[in-house]
Amino acid sequence: MAEIGRFETLGPMALWLLIAAVSIVVRLLPLGNEPGWPMPDVLLALTLAWVLRRQSHLPAALIALVFLIEDLFLMRPPGLWALMVLLGSEFLRRRESVVRELNLLFEWAMVAGVMLAMVLGNRVLRALVVTPNDPLLPALAGLLLTILTYPVVVLVLQGVLRIRKPATGEVDARGRRL
Amino acid sequence: MASDRSNEADYVRPVRRLVIGVLALVLLALFLIWRIDSPRIERFRTAIIDAVVPNMDWAMAPVTQVARMVEDFRSYARIYEQNQELRRELQQMRAWREAALQLEQRNAQLLDMAQVRLDPQLTHVTGVVMADAGGPFRQSVLLNVGARDGIVDGWAVMDGLGLAGRIAGVGERSSRVILLTDSNSRVPVSVQPGGQTALLSGDNSPAPVLEFVESPEALRPGDRVVSASDGGVFPPGLLVGEVALGADGRLRVRLAADYGRLDFLRVLRSRPAEVIEQSGSLLRPVDEAGRPLDPATGLLAPPAEPDLAPDAVGEPAAPVAGGAQDG
Repeated sequence: MAEIGRFETLGPMALWLLIAAVSIVVRLLPLGNEPGWPMPDVLLALTLAWVLRRQSHLPAALIALVFLIEDLFLMRPPGLWALMVLLGSEFLRRRESVVRELNLLFEWAMVAGVMLAMVLGNRVLRALVVTPNDPLLPALAGLLLTILTYPVVVLVLQGVLRIRKPATGEVDARGRRL
Repeated sequence: MASDRSNEADYVRPVRRLVIGVLALVLLALFLIWRIDSPRIERFRTAIIDAVVPNMDWAMAPVTQVARMVEDFRSYARIYEQNQELRRELQQMRAWREAALQLEQRNAQLLDMAQVRLDPQLTHVTGVVMADAGGPFRQSVLLNVGARDGIVDGWAVMDGLGLAGRIAGVGERSSRVILLTDSNSRVPVSVQPGGQTALLSGDNSPAPVLEFVESPEALRPGDRVVSASDGGVFPPGLLVGEVALGADGRLRVRLAADYGRLDFLRVLRSRPAEVIEQSGSLLRPVDEAGRPLDPATGLLAPPAEPDLAPDAVGEPAAPVAGGAQDG
């Protein structure tokens, strides 16, 4: 029984790692996209949506590690954005039981607020240690795009990857309530 | 307990909170260390990227291929515009070609009229670039021709179009070419319309700097730069490039040689220019054997007294076939 339980967690975890790796590699590829164009941070939206559905799939340490690697590869200040993602995902993880009863619209608003707070925290910390910040407008446009892609990511997550909010009374392989 | 969502043990929540706190502190510390000692963390970042990215060739290759195909397809879509554009350019090129032909003929006529004798000894040896022996601070390439092929230190090296560098170091079967962009390269040049001489000194950037220009305000970006023979380093008149104004406000030269594609280089055999060392000396008549004659008498002059006698009078000397340099 224990092996099955572990596998049920490890499978989606590996899937998330694979998606994260692909997302980082795609951004590294020399595809010649214009530097001025903001892109939605799909990995962030996916991670937050995932944490709100099955938090046991994504341990906090793994989230921190993946986003730290993303920081390193995308030439951002190492650790800062990873810290923000860690705090944001932990905030949502605590409120999973609240979000479980909300419909998508409220969940969306909540996630949008968390993302905004993360971006602001990022900028404030950078300003505090006098590091050059990204230009404001593209950063906000990127945030807006990420927020707009969030429902799409949720639909894909539920429809294609079959990661849903636990139904009332649903139990895992070891018979514990989710 | 209704509020206990999961059947976690009591100790799990505080431990979890502690772990999250430690993680956050580690990340924050990493960020602060990066802020304080950026080079070290950046080296760490570079090491990681170095270790990972070259291994991703297999991932990059198909994607870049697809991207290129998409790009090609897009250019298909614009094929009509491109055709028009090419036609226009072709028209302009025809005009230029006509002008070039006329100028060439005119140049040939003028050279003929002026009886200019072009240096016939400018032949070349072509070599293949074997290795790019340069690093960030040395800009040089290795050629597969050497002392065996008669290469001598200091000869000029050109690609098809312009001067690329000079030979610095000759082995039996290979030689090293120090490029114009190397920080040790100093080459005398002259800027064409005005003929000002200057020194082209490389600084490891793609466009070397023009130094010691007498009146920089007379130079304009786009002026042709050719090599000068000052110092006997290079044969004069080899195309080097054109003047450009660098981003730092210094006069630089955009090189005509295509440094991105140095495959074949030609080494120009330049003989050292003959130096005229003596000043002209007195002309006096000689006989067939070349012995000096006395201009006054037309007879063989006494060897002890080569100078003209100041008091020599009488019939003028018989016209001699030609004066020759004495001594």
